[in-house]
Amino acid sequence: MVYNDFTLETAIKTFQLEVVETLGLFSHIEPIIPRSHFTTDLKERLQLAFAVNTDKAKSEFVISYILFELLAHLDRRPTLFSGIEFNVDPEKGLAGMCDFLISLYPLSFIVEAPVSLSVKVPNISGKDESHIIGLGACVAEMIAAQRFNKTKGNEIPCIYGATTSGINWHFLKLEGQSLHIDLALYQISNCDKILGILSSMVEQKG
Amino acid sequence: MAYSNFTLETVQKEFQLEFVERAGIFAEIEPVIPSELLTTLLTKKVPLATTINTEKARSELIVADVLFELWEQFERRISLFSGIDFNVDAEYGLTGMCDFLVSLSPMQSFLEAPIIVLVEAKKEDTAPGLGQCVAEMIAAQRFNAEKGNDIPCIYGAATTGTEWKFLKLEENRLQLDMAVYSIDRCDKILGILSSMVEQKA
Repeated sequence: MVYNDFTLETAIKTFQLEVVETLGLFSHIEPIIPRSHFTTDLKERLQLAFAVNTDKAKSEFVISYILFELLAHLDRRPTLFSGIEFNVDPEKGLAGMCDFLISLYPLSFIVEAPVSLSVKVPNISGKDESHIIGLGACVAEMIAAQRFNKTKGNEIPCIYGATTSGINWHFLKLEGQSLHIDLALYQISNCDKILGILSSMVEQKG
Repeated sequence: MAYSNFTLETVQKEFQLEFVERAGIFAEIEPVIPSELLTTLLTKKVPLATTINTEKARSELIVADVLFELWEQFERRISLFSGIDFNVDAEYGLTGMCDFLVSLSPMQSFLEAPIIVLVEAKKEDTAPGLGQCVAEMIAAQRFNAEKGNDIPCIYGAATTGTEWKFLKLEENRLQLDMAVYSIDRCDKILGILSSMVEQKA
């Protein structure tokens, strides 16, 4: 059992989460205007990634590009990880590879607490609903991050999550046992909004 | 059996390749100056990718950006693929996923012949990528021939993002440049990739 085996339902049951669904939980957050070259470049990248239409291409040409842009807008320097093994509690299925993970710890040789954000790219190419399918894995990774932070004695109040195919973004927040799911879909055409939300998450204001 | 099962040794035996090893086969190729944007991005992305040190991070933060630049420099007259299944001949193990693939066809929605460059990304060492890359090059050669779109040479690269090794396949003659090209000379790498696309390398 690994992160990817979880559905939203099994993750909620296994970890006894209390679900709070809100439409527009993050919609009030101030957008962040990306740097000037970013928007034009992103358009090209989107066209390429969605023509190729593999998860790998979407991660490489779009999602990592957005997360890298995010780093440029943050005052404190969190660390972005990509494709690392994050094995926290294999017995409970809290093991496997995380697509992207952001730690507030400023060094990137090892994952250190606190981990604040997990981004999941579901491996179902070309399906519109793909972002929903990644939710379970993302929640499991958030739980793992919560436990990881605690073990390291570096707890933070909230852990955040996002699942995305590149175009549609879904956002989550875990506070204790409460899992907040924003039912709103944020689209890449509003990239400034997405950057704003991601940044507020890293700054623990989301 | 798939591309990833091949080593240089097994691929050479299986397909009876004539190996030519020499340092600097591509060294004389004119560099192509990268855009200012790529240069700026790489100064930040290379250290990040090498500290994260996963194949995924190296692919995303370095290799994809270099190939994206190549794609843009050719003004989309070529197509660039990433992570697609490329199944050509299961009997010979010519199946599996290719990390990156460049075709001279501008069609981006699906793969069309002729395939010109195959790029295999690895985490720390380019060596394990070489055999796999050669197998993919042979598959590309067969794919092009099947589609009636043969070109004289197929090229390949095995890379960790920071280090690049280049290959050239002409019929059953495989040339391996023993020189390692570093991302510090991104202009050199772009020059070699461009000349490959132009079939001049």
